[in-house]
Amino acid sequence: MQRISLKMAGESGMGLLSTGQILSRAMKKLGFYIVSDREYPSLIKGGYSCMQIDFSDEKIHSLSTGTDVIVAFDRHGLLEYIDTLKDGGILIHGYERHNLIPALKEKIEKKNLKVIYLPARELAFALGGDELMVNMILLGILWKVLGLDYTDLEAQVSIQFASKPKLLEIDLKCIKAGYEAKETDGVSMAVKKPAQVPDTILIDGTRSICLGAIQAGVRCFFAYPMSPASGILTYLAAKSHETGMVIKQAEDEITAIQMTIGAMFMGTRSFTSTSGGGYDLMTETISLSGMTETPLVVVIGQRPGPATGLPTWTCQGDLNLAMHSSHGEFPRVVIGCSDPTSSYELMQHAFNIAEKYQVPVIVLTEKVVLESHLTVAPFQENLIPIERGLVTDPAELNALTNSDRFKITPDGVSKRWLPGTSPAYYYGNSDEHLESGVLTEEADTVKAMVEKRMKKTETIQQALPDPQIYGDEKGADISFVGWGSTKNAVLDAINSAKNEGVKINYLHYDYVYPLKKDAAVRFFENNNNVHLVEGNFEGQLGKLIEHATEKKFKGKYLKYNGRPFFVDDILQYAKNN
Amino acid sequence: MPKTTKKSDTTLLGEKSGLYKLYETDQVITWCAGCGNYGIQNALKRALTLENFDIKDVLFVFDIGCNGNGSDKIGGYTFHGLHGRTIPAASGASLANPKLKVISSGGDGASMSEGINHLVHAVRSNYPMMFIHHNNLNYALTTGQASATTKRGFPMNSSPDGVIIDPINPTEFVLNLNPTFVARSFSGDIKHMTKIMRQALKHKGFAYVEILQVCPTYNKATPQKWYLDRVKYLEDLKEYKPNNLEKAKKYSHDMENEIYLGVFYKDEKQPNFYERLEYRKNLQTSPVEEVQAYPIKELLKEFT
Repeated sequence: MQRISLKMAGESGMGLLSTGQILSRAMKKLGFYIVSDREYPSLIKGGYSCMQIDFSDEKIHSLSTGTDVIVAFDRHGLLEYIDTLKDGGILIHGYERHNLIPALKEKIEKKNLKVIYLPARELAFALGGDELMVNMILLGILWKVLGLDYTDLEAQVSIQFASKPKLLEIDLKCIKAGYEAKETDGVSMAVKKPAQVPDTILIDGTRSICLGAIQAGVRCFFAYPMSPASGILTYLAAKSHETGMVIKQAEDEITAIQMTIGAMFMGTRSFTSTSGGGYDLMTETISLSGMTETPLVVVIGQRPGPATGLPTWTCQGDLNLAMHSSHGEFPRVVIGCSDPTSSYELMQHAFNIAEKYQVPVIVLTEKVVLESHLTVAPFQENLIPIERGLVTDPAELNALTNSDRFKITPDGVSKRWLPGTSPAYYYGNSDEHLESGVLTEEADTVKAMVEKRMKKTETIQQALPDPQIYGDEKGADISFVGWGSTKNAVLDAINSAKNEGVKINYLHYDYVYPLKKDAAVRFFENNNNVHLVEGNFEGQLGKLIEHATEKKFKGKYLKYNGRPFFVDDILQYAKNN
Repeated sequence: MPKTTKKSDTTLLGEKSGLYKLYETDQVITWCAGCGNYGIQNALKRALTLENFDIKDVLFVFDIGCNGNGSDKIGGYTFHGLHGRTIPAASGASLANPKLKVISSGGDGASMSEGINHLVHAVRSNYPMMFIHHNNLNYALTTGQASATTKRGFPMNSSPDGVIIDPINPTEFVLNLNPTFVARSFSGDIKHMTKIMRQALKHKGFAYVEILQVCPTYNKATPQKWYLDRVKYLEDLKEYKPNNLEKAKKYSHDMENEIYLGVFYKDEKQPNFYERLEYRKNLQTSPVEEVQAYPIKELLKEFT
């Protein structure tokens, strides 16, 4: 298996994203599997940022820490990421004043780096371009160094700039100048093209969530922007002409979730998305959903907190928030997305669960999941049928009585029908109520209604699928348990370690709450070196599992510095434990 | 021309008593004796009946407060949400199904304090819904604290020395937001409220209706008689037409001596929020009827 890790680094606003996109799309067309993510500060221009692209001829899911090639767009790019280069790695740049940085020289010598320098700015101007065309020259050099054919890159660039023929001409000149530069002589990684081009899509978690929602029949979307969830609002708004979805940017998060619950009560499918801080404002409405048994779906794109925290970085710190937010006691479901495919599918399941059991469903995702692009199998339509649990048969609607709406049933789930569809109306009452929704404060009835609603936790817990085991079920040298994006690094570690004869297995929770604890108990019984891997300080899932199973993790690998888990993180931890 | 005699509301209500009856329930009312809510609920039922709304054509969305305690005392589908949030919940519902009439009710908190941002943006957005502001000049269900409409100087439960800040004049405030329907009425005049609500029900955008509501328990400052001595009707002003915002603001300003009631302003030409969604122009359905697996094949193309 060949796995190569590239970084493009420079000031924010220098076109890193579009250059990275061209490169990863060109690689995808050649049949490579790709994972890419962007590190950037919370500002629009300036500050350093970096796009990392790992690619391989086999399926990969995460990024690695060591870099094979860095393409530095400017001084920042040169200095901020050079330490991540492997010994003997390649540094491509166009910074004219590099000789004036003694520290750079030292590092190059110490790491024995191969440096390819071209006065790219000068060259770009000479070719009729401007400052931004430096990207294209460096991209040309990179493509040559990888050892790939010029025509494959040319084809992708031509697609990307098809609507701007003038620009395209200069872009191609710049790329060619980079590709043909004599400075690359003797430096080639001789990357082998995959024998076959698999049928894949290259997509990020943001758009996957949106496509899942569209496929699930969502017809109204209300949100207030907050990183890293804003992309959901942007994409759904951009596609509203195709989908016909009603989109409203609300005046605040409280409004967004209230509009959502209003739309769900009326009977369409609707959701809202935010990050932890915005969700804090929404929590009262989660409780309202619990009491009125109105289905609700909320997406939280996690970033490190508390308070404003690190707006453009990643973490898994809001599991406790999702599980415990809101006053009072009521059933709820918490789901964690890990990659594009799970984002697409879990969004659809989220709506089915919310509607069938009439509960709030909180879908957790993370900056790294929302913004990482992965090559995955094309999403399937009609894979997950829409299940709404609604009374729609006209005869049955006519036969309903008011108190059917919140009737006490063995599984806690009562009939639900949409306002206006039956002469038997009901009251969606945030006050404690009778089966018809009429307010009550009578002790025995209150008790019965609380028990009716809480019964649904058990009903849902039984209905939810078990967590997934990756690797062998039992007898691993080291085992991990986790949720969300940690899956990606562990999956890559399982494959990597296998080559070295080390057996790793992994228990992954898509449905985190209510916890499927029996599966965890079995996993502990079948494996004797079980560790938690989680992107927060407290080990929130770990505590939930330890409390429910009375088992103890051998160790907890916790990361809370704003960065995701990399494959080498897991391998190193496995080696030490 | 043959002379047609216009039937009175009472005659019409008699003829439509079957419809009216649907809004009646057997629930025990929990409002204080003399509360303005009795009249307001009565007027609303009359207006709905006279405009031929069946209970299946309406969704009532209530705030928390004394009026919200009537959410299960009226026939029909109701949603009794959280304090201050009736407007956003109702607006979401109205966009999900514009074919149902969404009637939102709230007190001074939902309108002028905790929910004032929602009111501002709902007016701006011109959602297809009606909002009834129960202005009783205090927070009654929490036993008589000052609201944003309590008159300066009056002692309330939370301000024993008297409120030291000036109140907001709600109708005047809303008239400054470029609204499409603004009206004011009084809980002591069911006939007038019915007339105003009938017009609000017919409005396709956001209809704001302020009701000056007596609160015999906590608002001793402006009881029924105080209002009866002061209310005036825009309808009695021959020259008044509800098409001039500046004039409307002028007539809405006085809340001490001559308090005008009536429809202050109306703009039927402005499309509501829903009608402004150009990309939905060709759809005959509303979002509640559209929940099905939407194809994603075309959208996937840019990722292949």
